[in-house]
Amino acid sequence: MTCMTNPLILKLEQRDQLSDAEKRALENAISRVRVVEADEDIVREGDRPNESSLLLDGFAARYKLVSNGRRQISALHVPGDFLDLHSFLLKTMDHGVLALTTCRIAAVPHATLEKITDEFPHLTRMLWLNTLIDGAIHREWLTAMGRLSATAHMAHLICELYLRLKVVGRAEGDTVQLPITQAELGDTLGLSTVHVNRVLQELRKEGLIRFQGDSLTILDWERLKKVGEFTSTYLSLQNEHR
Amino acid sequence: MPEITLQPISVMTDGGGHEGHLVLAAGHLVAVLSRVTAEETLGEREQIEGWFLEAGFGPCGPLMSVTPPVFTDLDQALAWIRTRLEAGLDPS
Repeated sequence: MTCMTNPLILKLEQRDQLSDAEKRALENAISRVRVVEADEDIVREGDRPNESSLLLDGFAARYKLVSNGRRQISALHVPGDFLDLHSFLLKTMDHGVLALTTCRIAAVPHATLEKITDEFPHLTRMLWLNTLIDGAIHREWLTAMGRLSATAHMAHLICELYLRLKVVGRAEGDTVQLPITQAELGDTLGLSTVHVNRVLQELRKEGLIRFQGDSLTILDWERLKKVGEFTSTYLSLQNEHR
Repeated sequence: MPEITLQPISVMTDGGGHEGHLVLAAGHLVAVLSRVTAEETLGEREQIEGWFLEAGFGPCGPLMSVTPPVFTDLDQALAWIRTRLEAGLDPS
């Protein structure tokens, strides 16, 4: 599904109003759009990019490799997410970003980002907010990883992804497309594929979710939230002056 | 190398009893293995039925090792357990 509106604008406008000039500045910041196929790197660990990548369509993951080819996915990205806005200031990538599906990526040159920070103080704060939300998601994931049961952790992730996709216009009612494999879910949650299968089975059996191919339907939102101990505060979804 | 012995046991997974084994090294419990179907390993690099390390203790436990992929047969599972018993803190 392609949205005509830049999904980053949808994501930021959920949190605060943007002026027409700010929206134009974001639209004009895109220097080119490229397509990255599934399982290809969008940015590699050790790279020193001179542009940041904005995900327009598809799913991507930040990851690090450990011994024996094992991998930990430390963030999942949906349309509207800046995959490496932080590379503007951190310079050297300390992790890679991988396309999980075919991704459409907009490049935003760091020089343009610098210009935005010079000329648009409110938009600059909104981009700061964007990375703060990334940080809040990391804190939430760390807590879930360390202290929730595997079933609760999966429920928590599903609640979060559903809301994040809904904000950028990627939900149809209670259904979202989630073309993420069970191995990728395992690498995200730190679980074996056997355990991923079991917890999804458990959530299905309890009538909380339904998977049909890549299509995920939330059948009982309130119970899913309860099982996952999920509250959306960390996603800062309220529209207010920032 | 301590003597490794297997004791059949039914393991409660997915809401029912599944074929399993207690694995003992010199009489000490080091692992619980359970039989999993290919369907349950969906998403692994190779989708196989086999034996899953349901729980491990000591060198085979989560304090010193990471959950290995599903083993194709018991011999492969026991080879991993023997390696872990020898490896100590080295990752495997």
